[in-house]
Amino acid sequence: MKKLLNTLVSASVIATAASASYITAVKVDENLDKVSYSYDVWTQAKMTEVTLYPQTTIKFNDKMANKMNESSKAIKAEVGAVYNGSRIAFIVKWPDGTKNVTTGNCLDRYADGFAFQFASEYSDPKTLPYIGMGSDGRPVVVHLQKEAFGTYEPNGYGDVAHQVNPNQTAFFGKELDKFNKKVKSLATNDYERSFVAEGFRSTTEIKDGSNASYARIGYEGKGWSGTLSRPLKDQYLDLNSAVIPVAIAVWDGGNLGRNGLKYLTSWTAVKLEGKSGSEALLTALNEKSKGDTAKGKEAVMNNGCTGCHQIEPTDPATYMGPALTNIGGYATADYLRESLVNPSAVVVPGYNRNAHSSYMWYTLEGDKRVSTMPGFDYLEKSDIEDIVAYLQTLKAEVK
Amino acid sequence: MSKRQLAMVMDLNKCIGCQTCTVACKTQWTNRNGREYMYWNNVETYPGTGYPRNWMELGGGFDAAGDLQEGVIPNLEADYGVPWDYNYDALQGGASFEPNVEPTWGPNWDEDEGTGSFPQDNYFFYLPRICNHCTNPGCLSACPRDAIFKREQDGVVLVDLDRCQGYRYCIAGCPYKKIYFNPKISKSEKCILCFPRVEQGLPPACAQQCVGRIRFVGFLDDEESQVHKLVNKYKVALGLRSDYGTQPNVYYVPPTESPVKFDADGKIIPDSGRLPIEELEKLFGPEVHDAIKTLKAEMKKRKETGESELMDILIAYQHSDMFRLDNNYYQQVAHENGQHPLAPVDTRYIAGKHTKPDNKMNFFHGGHGHTAGGHH
Repeated sequence: MKKLLNTLVSASVIATAASASYITAVKVDENLDKVSYSYDVWTQAKMTEVTLYPQTTIKFNDKMANKMNESSKAIKAEVGAVYNGSRIAFIVKWPDGTKNVTTGNCLDRYADGFAFQFASEYSDPKTLPYIGMGSDGRPVVVHLQKEAFGTYEPNGYGDVAHQVNPNQTAFFGKELDKFNKKVKSLATNDYERSFVAEGFRSTTEIKDGSNASYARIGYEGKGWSGTLSRPLKDQYLDLNSAVIPVAIAVWDGGNLGRNGLKYLTSWTAVKLEGKSGSEALLTALNEKSKGDTAKGKEAVMNNGCTGCHQIEPTDPATYMGPALTNIGGYATADYLRESLVNPSAVVVPGYNRNAHSSYMWYTLEGDKRVSTMPGFDYLEKSDIEDIVAYLQTLKAEVK
Repeated sequence: MSKRQLAMVMDLNKCIGCQTCTVACKTQWTNRNGREYMYWNNVETYPGTGYPRNWMELGGGFDAAGDLQEGVIPNLEADYGVPWDYNYDALQGGASFEPNVEPTWGPNWDEDEGTGSFPQDNYFFYLPRICNHCTNPGCLSACPRDAIFKREQDGVVLVDLDRCQGYRYCIAGCPYKKIYFNPKISKSEKCILCFPRVEQGLPPACAQQCVGRIRFVGFLDDEESQVHKLVNKYKVALGLRSDYGTQPNVYYVPPTESPVKFDADGKIIPDSGRLPIEELEKLFGPEVHDAIKTLKAEMKKRKETGESELMDILIAYQHSDMFRLDNNYYQQVAHENGQHPLAPVDTRYIAGKHTKPDNKMNFFHGGHGHTAGGHH
């Protein structure tokens, strides 16, 4: 009996260790300034499996896209990281049966791509920015790379002469060919963008010249590899820490994916090997609430949550609160707790309110959004835990 | 809602479908840079497929409860049509005259077809369309980036190209499909009501060039403007498909006159008209009955007494009277807000809290707006 107990204990220890998943950033000596997916440095990386869930927080108004993503499943990706004295680099590999690239000549195609999201402030694991591009007062930095070719700047870098319709130039024959070639050379074939955001409506591209990230993307054997290299520290972000939170998103252009229509991880811990410091974040990001999921489900029903939230995919969609059908896939236990007790701490930047004017899901006090959801701080702690445990089960199956 | 609203009235009784407005707009704004397929102004034959093809069936707009409706993003080849050109250069070498793209569809593919059987009861009329600069825009409501804004000073709806990321929900959200995706810059673009002209006191190019003098432009709250008189005083100008719930600000004087029908023997059917009122009701709502009544009554009054302010307005004796665009108004607004009068973006939206203020306008000063890996 004692032996059996021991076995059980050790099994549970192993289980705990296995569930405390994190991405290891391996310290390397190589220069990481312009690292791509084909670089040798990745042989030193330890790949970790992460799950990306379809983001179903709000429903967009593209009829075809909604139809195609009706029953999206989660996907698995492999992530590795390396860092040196000044930069950190990530690689993400994810399956995608179709290579979707935009080439600047089609109106209803979308490119595959990926993004890495970093929290500007992560010292308190309980108040990380909202997973969907941050929230008021909790900014994130997002690096985006899409496979899009032939994109021009709207003002053509101020070069008016090469924005003229070729038919209206004075050129013929070879001269016209030369003109067309010059115009073509003004296109960008690398769709890399970096943003600061406090909620997705506020997303602002970093165009102040300070951004020094470098991202690459490549398709091989029914899947994409994407890499991102960025400084450990710049004016928006300081990643010099033992553990940092990272979230990864990928887009499937084949399913008309763009912006919120994507696959998303929860905040995931990245452990920088050799750096010392608090690992509280590691525990927090892996926390599975110990509440009773069955009781939690009951509490969700009894407290009227379905009045404003779509909880399970079979529940009716609503324009009031964000849909929670995949919340277990991309929210941390701390976030769920905070949102139950203090709903105004993070008001999800959902619909443009003009789009659903009869749903007052927040009010404004000055500039501050105050959630219409009442705080459930009066519930017993154990009830809150049950609800959190139940919400953590809400997620799509893996494809 | 903006403080003031600039509006346009189009008198459909006078539109001859000459497409001068279309050409004026095209040469001014959309003959280049990925806009080649776009017609910010188009004139379609009604009944007909319209532009883009069957736009009334592509969703968008709001339902009665005020909820934005799902929509479809049209396809270039099937719904808009790929602009084609011919091999003029090669003709000299004896080649045959060939288009560079096989033309399979385009705007006005069904021009002047209309409906009914000739000569008994066939009919059609022209429907010129621009962006409606709606009071409750579907495109603006659909944008998850808040990249579309409605100007306070005149209600013109614009896309902030710095914020736009080319998601195209605006196109699905606009029930008129009057916002377009520019694949070259990967951003949405639309009719800007020629605001750089308007701010200088000039009417939009389409209105200026209109040979039929069908277009009136002015502020709705300016009681001296002909737009105000047609929309608010006489109530003869009505929004197109107001049932979409976007509160459009381009108004139409419905076509009142149509030829009589012929019977099977080719004889005139007395007191008949070829334009079914149901079609007009579908386009302009139940108010169309009163509008037509007013128009007919004023026409009669004019015939009998020689006087009618409404008829004088619609005849448009003086082209300049059709536009009341107070130039100084814009100068004043710009001065009050410390703006450049021609600022093409609403700086409220690029003012990212975390981006350096002195570089916010980088993009519009001809700067490169550095992004690593971007082409320089």
